[in-house]
Amino acid sequence: MSDNDPSLRECPADVDLGRVWTSVAAQVWRRQPGWLERAAGRLLRSPGLARALLTTPSLLLPWLIASIVVLAAGAGATLDSGQPVVALLAPAVAAAAIAYSYGPGIDPAWELSCSMAVSDRMVLLVRALAVFAVNALLGLAASAVSAGLTGPGRPGAAAASGAAAAVTFGWLIPMTAVCAFALAVATLARSANVGAAAGVAGWLITVLSGRVASGHFGAAVTDTVLFLPYLAIGVTCAAVAVFATRIPRGRYR
Amino acid sequence: MNVEITELTRRFGRNQAVAGVNLQAGTGVYGLLGPNGAGKTTLLRMMATVIPPTSGRVRLLGRDPRAYGPRREVRRRLGYLPQNLGYYPGFTVVEFVEYFALLKEMPAARVPAAVATAVERVDLGGRAKAKLRTLSGGMLRRVGIAQAIVNEPELLLLDEPTAGLDPEQRVAFRALLRDLGQRATVVVSTHLVEDVGAACSEVALMDQGKIVFQGTPAELTARGTEQGTGDAPLERGYTAVLAAARS
Repeated sequence: MSDNDPSLRECPADVDLGRVWTSVAAQVWRRQPGWLERAAGRLLRSPGLARALLTTPSLLLPWLIASIVVLAAGAGATLDSGQPVVALLAPAVAAAAIAYSYGPGIDPAWELSCSMAVSDRMVLLVRALAVFAVNALLGLAASAVSAGLTGPGRPGAAAASGAAAAVTFGWLIPMTAVCAFALAVATLARSANVGAAAGVAGWLITVLSGRVASGHFGAAVTDTVLFLPYLAIGVTCAAVAVFATRIPRGRYR
Repeated sequence: MNVEITELTRRFGRNQAVAGVNLQAGTGVYGLLGPNGAGKTTLLRMMATVIPPTSGRVRLLGRDPRAYGPRREVRRRLGYLPQNLGYYPGFTVVEFVEYFALLKEMPAARVPAAVATAVERVDLGGRAKAKLRTLSGGMLRRVGIAQAIVNEPELLLLDEPTAGLDPEQRVAFRALLRDLGQRATVVVSTHLVEDVGAACSEVALMDQGKIVFQGTPAELTARGTEQGTGDAPLERGYTAVLAAARS
């Protein structure tokens, strides 16, 4: 800017034009958070986590990978296999996919995230909730649309509607609830580890109580054939926990 | 002292990346020089609390980052630019800087002004609303610098910050460094000795995981008066110290 500019000649000498411009820029560039982000910020006690929640689907590649694996795991979990193992293993697979997609595997800014005051594990919990919640909404929409298309002579639509409803109500919505529960516990306890443990416990109780209701609980916990799969689940969950929070070549515990 | 490092080591399997580093740093701009694989990035990552040391002691801003509470406090006051910072291509410049300002737990009401200030300081005001996918490499590097300084950090760690910047931007960046160094501890890891000569009040030279020289740029230059190779006096000092360390 030139001192010869007529519009500036009347500007008092003690006015810092740089600061004025920055204030104007701050107002012009300011992003107004929507009601959902404001509500999430209050619930999570962190505007940063609320922003992470809302931006999760916009990170396209991680979103696609996480969603595909989550839906595949959901399809497996909702098959009537007669064994609780599949339902117990599916969340570990889904968690691994989310951790990989939004973790060191693909997230380009993961190392930077690891130097932030908001815990990267809390961010991953938030990402998991977003993945399941948005896919649950899409699943509901798909169920409604395919139900609307059913009719005589359209057996495919009826089958699609049934499958979409089964994955949505038998997997996506319960897992959304489990993730929300885990996040709530993590927020209250101020510990992502405690929240994740609560989520795992919640899902275990849900699956095993289903076995109780169907009268198969005893078989689910005493059948020696299931011990190896249970061990695999335990190892997978531990691997997920380690992988989800690692950074290449070590990190703080 | 904002940085107090004592006998710091870091191993990756059999490879000893950092081998017994001692460093104290108060307010000012500190240059971290050294060849590839000298351990600069690993040292910076430990100072950024991204990875823990294998052994030794680190105190940052008067706190021990091993415990969660103090580490979180350090991170609120920390600015860090990793060597290979990736970007979210769908974010705008302002959105990216704002996102990390919020993750640094800045008060939400202060964030818009802080973001505007940071974006202006790296001269990206004209591209503030541009998607990151549309920016050049040098502009992206400046976005990275903006996110590092958005919280007015007391400890600023920059790993190869001038990589991809054109000469004009590098001159402007050095001025920014000198300004930041008046109030904060700024540690800059770089290969470019001219950046160190122009902006740093002190310099440490690393080789094979150890600090082999610590002093002012003038003192490093003086080491190269009789031996050393290079086009500039500081380069000659750099090569002379490295040669002496390896002999």
